Parts: sequence; structure tokens; C-alpha cells
Amino acid sequence: MKRHVRLLRTAVVGGASLAMTLSLAACGGSGDSAGGGSDEIHVLVYGDATNKVEKQLVDTFNKTSKVKAVLDTIPGADYQSKLQTIISGKQAPDVFFNWGGGSIKPFVDAGLLMPLDDFIAKDPGLRSNFLPSVFDTAVVGGKPYGIPMRGTQPVLLFSNKKVLADAGVTAPRTWDELLAAVRALKAKGVTPIALGGGDKWPTQMWFQYVYDRVAGPELFQKAVNGDKSVWASADSKKALGLLKELIDAGAFGTNYDSVKFTDGGSPALLATGKAAFELMGSWEYSTLQDAYPDFVKSDLGYGTFPTVAGGKGAPGNLAGNTNNYYSVLKNTEHPEAVAEFLKLMYSDAFVKGQLSIGNLPTTANTPKFLDGSASPAYSAYQYDLVKKAPHFQLSWDQAYPPAASTTIYQAVQQFFNGQTGPDAFIAAMQSLPAA
Amino acid sequence: MVKSLWLSLLLTVLGVVVQTPISVLLGVWAAGRQRNRAVLSAIYFVPLLLSITAVSVLWRAVLDPNFGVPSQAKWLFGDGNLFGTQAGALGVLVFVSTWQFTPLHTLIYQGAARAVPGVLYEAARIDGAGTVRQFFHITLPQLRNTVVTSMILMVVGGLTTFDTVLILTQGGPGTDSTNTAYYMYQKAFKSFDFGSASAIALLLVLVATLVSLVMVRLTGYDRMRSTMEGV
Repeated sequence: MKRHVRLLRTAVVGGASLAMTLSLAACGGSGDSAGGGSDEIHVLVYGDATNKVEKQLVDTFNKTSKVKAVLDTIPGADYQSKLQTIISGKQAPDVFFNWGGGSIKPFVDAGLLMPLDDFIAKDPGLRSNFLPSVFDTAVVGGKPYGIPMRGTQPVLLFSNKKVLADAGVTAPRTWDELLAAVRALKAKGVTPIALGGGDKWPTQMWFQYVYDRVAGPELFQKAVNGDKSVWASADSKKALGLLKELIDAGAFGTNYDSVKFTDGGSPALLATGKAAFELMGSWEYSTLQDAYPDFVKSDLGYGTFPTVAGGKGAPGNLAGNTNNYYSVLKNTEHPEAVAEFLKLMYSDAFVKGQLSIGNLPTTANTPKFLDGSASPAYSAYQYDLVKKAPHFQLSWDQAYPPAASTTIYQAVQQFFNGQTGPDAFIAAMQSLPAA
Repeated sequence: MVKSLWLSLLLTVLGVVVQTPISVLLGVWAAGRQRNRAVLSAIYFVPLLLSITAVSVLWRAVLDPNFGVPSQAKWLFGDGNLFGTQAGALGVLVFVSTWQFTPLHTLIYQGAARAVPGVLYEAARIDGAGTVRQFFHITLPQLRNTVVTSMILMVVGGLTTFDTVLILTQGGPGTDSTNTAYYMYQKAFKSFDFGSASAIALLLVLVATLVSLVMVRLTGYDRMRSTMEGV
């Protein structure tokens, strides 16, 4: 019997230590406290190449300010979980990077964030200097909570002009033209549309645009605010029907779920002429520029998503990553200094810095400097789109709180590969927590 | 949740069923003292030395439907949608872990096969037993305890498979290759639901312990009966 006791003990200890590893990971790093009457504001940002510009701005700020800004970076993959952990504790930063929308909604609900109305009342430029479609993404419950602080990345329909010309089609402006192009390209033996379905978020981009074109931005807005019935509405079913029609027409080929964007699979299909279109964020341009500079020079086309006949969404509506934002903690000790710091986000130095590393800022003074960007024509095209966009839909996985992304990804993938029908997709979206 | 447990068990069983015969045969073959066998065993051993992450990334690229092997071997792979069907995704997972971990089990069997006393084979030869009969009536029974050891290693490794799933399939298509370990990861680090994730971790430990206990009991391993009785 002794042996059994020992085995049982091993099992319990093993289980406990495994469980502890997880719960420790959840509260790692609390302990030493920052702030506490110091003359510093802590600025927490997502750690990547853009930090160069953020560092410059902090240095500029520190030259004149009595209260010093300290830039804290957290390497990309850990950012979200670390932020989640420290935001309600003593270590919380004064200002932090986020994606607007669902990424800050839980913090707003918890009463942690400061509405920026007062700042804007003192300096209206904090609102008027930014493009409205972008600024609106960080408006939660009618109050602004974020100042745009990096570049915008709308999703565009990229194409291989040579493949299109060979098949005798032009870039489609309507859904029917897209279907016709798909048929013509398929007859030529080309995969009409490259899709990195293995990554799942590229699949989601198709839903975002089709839903917008069919039902307008209001449907998703209502859904995110908790009105789950809209997913079962006639518009929602119509959008799913259109997607189904496109998939069944063979627009994406058959093996898209084995292809990824992140390992270079789907851009390679487009650049090598094995596919004609790809719906992708504006970063597609620099990805292709790195890997296939000749293709970008001669054959890369880009345009907006086609319109749907009888649809409610404006043709100029965009979807994608609107921008990143700085939000302010309610209990910051130096609100005046924070306000001064945020004003730098529409300064000339900020715009030049972002453009120099390939980001496209969304401030009113951006056009002045576009000639200095890496690809002026492309930057100007995007800026114009974003400026004129009646609505800029934040990517669904970011508009909902982080917990929802797994469910969304599974739902879009299963709908695309035919494992589930419209009813299961609707049920999955209805199961999401409201943002 | 139930589906993920079921998938974990399925992946484990498939892993054991595929890996055990290959590694027993390879191990017994490699136990011979010929020089060519020594050289080949050294080459077979290489996959085990590589990092599992590197191996997964490598196979992901090799199996790319448009630019990898499937595009050149359509008679075998069809449209190459390996990661887009459940059978394909599970097949790839089992194949990659077999490719990587068979050398370990081969090594275990090689050592055990060399420890089988030579007198047994001499006696069998005198009695007129051929190679095949020697294998089934001497080698395999002598390897009994080794088989259990190796299988427990496979079961525990199989139930906690995570890295290959993360890199090769991300639990897809849909949830068709989301095993329990990956499900736990999704809950904890994608949905930030550390409570459920901890519960899943605990459940995984309980199931793994239970399975190991049952195996030890069923195989009679706990009685530690010698394979050397009467030698």
C-alpha cells in the first residue's frame, strides 16, 4: 500500500507545481513599485523597431519638461499578457500603448482609464490634428480614450497586374466583377485569390469587408456593443451567402488552409503569378518589397475592396489596423505633463520619424512630408483613402476583447473550409463576450 | 474540452502504434556489431539532436502545398491541403514526432537487445530456430520491460505534445488538432483565462498519471519479474 501513497503524492505534487507555474506566470513581476511621488511618467510601449521614434520623442520631451518621461518597452509577444497583469497594480504605467477598441474596453469598464475630454478642451488640437476615422477607434462609450501614436495599416486588395492582363480582366470594382474575374482566372489555371488560411486572421479580413459592404459598419458596431441578434439578421446571412458563393466558385483554390502569410507562402503565390489577388494589410507592400523588388516595381497593383450591389456600406469604408494609441491611466500623478507629452504625437518630428521607418501616420500635417517616405505614391494613396474613409473598421479580433480571438479564428476558418454552415458561424459569433 | 482530451489520446495512441514497431525493428537491427550498422545508426540518430522547434519549422516548409514536396508529388498528396484537413493535420503531427523521437526509442531498444545473453540464441540455433523465430521467441520476450519503459515515455510525451502543434497546425483546421496541452495554452495566453487553464493543466496531470498507472498495472511491470529466470 505504501507504494500507492507515494504515487498519489507524486501526482498531487506534480499537479500542484504545474498549476503553480501557470498562476505564477499570471502574476509575475509584481513587487517593486514604480512611481509613488516621483517626478516621472512611465510610458509603456510594445517593443519593436518603432521604439526608435518613441525614444526620440521621449528625449525631446525630457529636454524641456521638469517631469521626466521614462520609456518602458515589453517585447511584442509578451505585451498583452504583461499589460493585463500590471495595469491594475502599483506598477501600472501612466501612459500605455494599445490597439484601441476592444483592447481598452475592459480597462475603461474597470474605471482605470482617464477620458481625454479635459485635455482636448484645453488643446483642441489633440483631436482636430488627427484623421477622424482613425481617432474614432479609441472612442469608447462616446468618450475619447486614445491618441494615435504610430502608423495606420488599412487592408487593401493587392493584385498581380500581369496575371490579370493575361486573363483579360481588370481590377474588380464590384462583387459581380470579382466573381467574373475569379471565373476567368480559374479558366486560365491560376488560383484567383491567394489566402494564408493557416494564419486564420487573413481569412477574417474577408468577413470584415463583406459584412461592411453588405450591412454597413453599424451591424458590427451593434454586435460589439452586445446586441447579439444582429448576427442572425438578414444582412448577416446575405454576407455569409456571398462569401459562400465566392468560396464555392473556387476563388481561393482548395489548399488555402495549408498556406500562411507569416512564412511568406501567400505573398509568394501573388508575386510568382500563381495567384492573382490577395487581400492583405498595407504591410504587404513592404513584405513584397523585401522579397520581390522587381515584382513591386512592375506588376504590383493595389486597390480598395469591391462594392456589393444593394449593400449599405459606403465604397470608401476601410478595415484593418486603424492605428495604435496612447491611453492614460486615471490615477496618473502628472496629468499636465502627460498632456504635454501627448501633444508631441502630432508634431512634425513625430511625422518625419514615423515616415522614415515606413509607418504612415494619421495626423493632419502628414501630407507635407509624404515626399520623404520610402514609397511616396503608395503612402499618398493610403493617406488619401484613410482621410476620405467615412468609417474605418478596426479588425474584428482587436475590436473584441483579447479573449474572443480564438473563437473568431475558429469560426472563420471552419466556415471557409465548409466544416460548419452559416448557423454555426452565427452561433459562434453570438457566443462572444460583448466588448 | 472533451474533444481536446480525445485528440490527445488519439495522437498518443497513434504515436505509440507507429513508433513502437519501427523502433523495435531498428533497435534490434542496430544491435548487431557490423560496421555499416554502426554508421547508419549514427545517421538515424541525428533528428533527435535537432531542436523540436527547428524540426517543426523545417517540415512546415517542406510540406508547403505550393512550393514544397506536395506540389511535386501530386499523385501522393493531391492538392496538398495537408494542414487543412483533420486527417492530414493529425498525420503530419504523428509523422513529425515519429521522425524526431524514433531515434530515442531505437537507442533504448538497441541497448536492451545487446543485453540479451548470447547463450539463448546459441541454444535456439541448436534447436533449429531461424532468425524470425529467434526474434519472436527470444528477443521480444527479453525486451518486455524495455517495451513498457519506452511506451510510458511515449505516452507521457504524447499526452503533453505541444510544440509541434503550436508550430505546425496551431490546433487547426478549426479545432481539429487542438489537443489538451494546446487548448490549455489558448486558454491561458490567448484568452487570458488563467483559471480555466490551470484547471486544464491539473486535469492533464491527473489523466497522464492515471494512464501511466493503468499501463504499469496491466503490463505487470510493477511486479518487476526478471526476464532472466532460468538463464
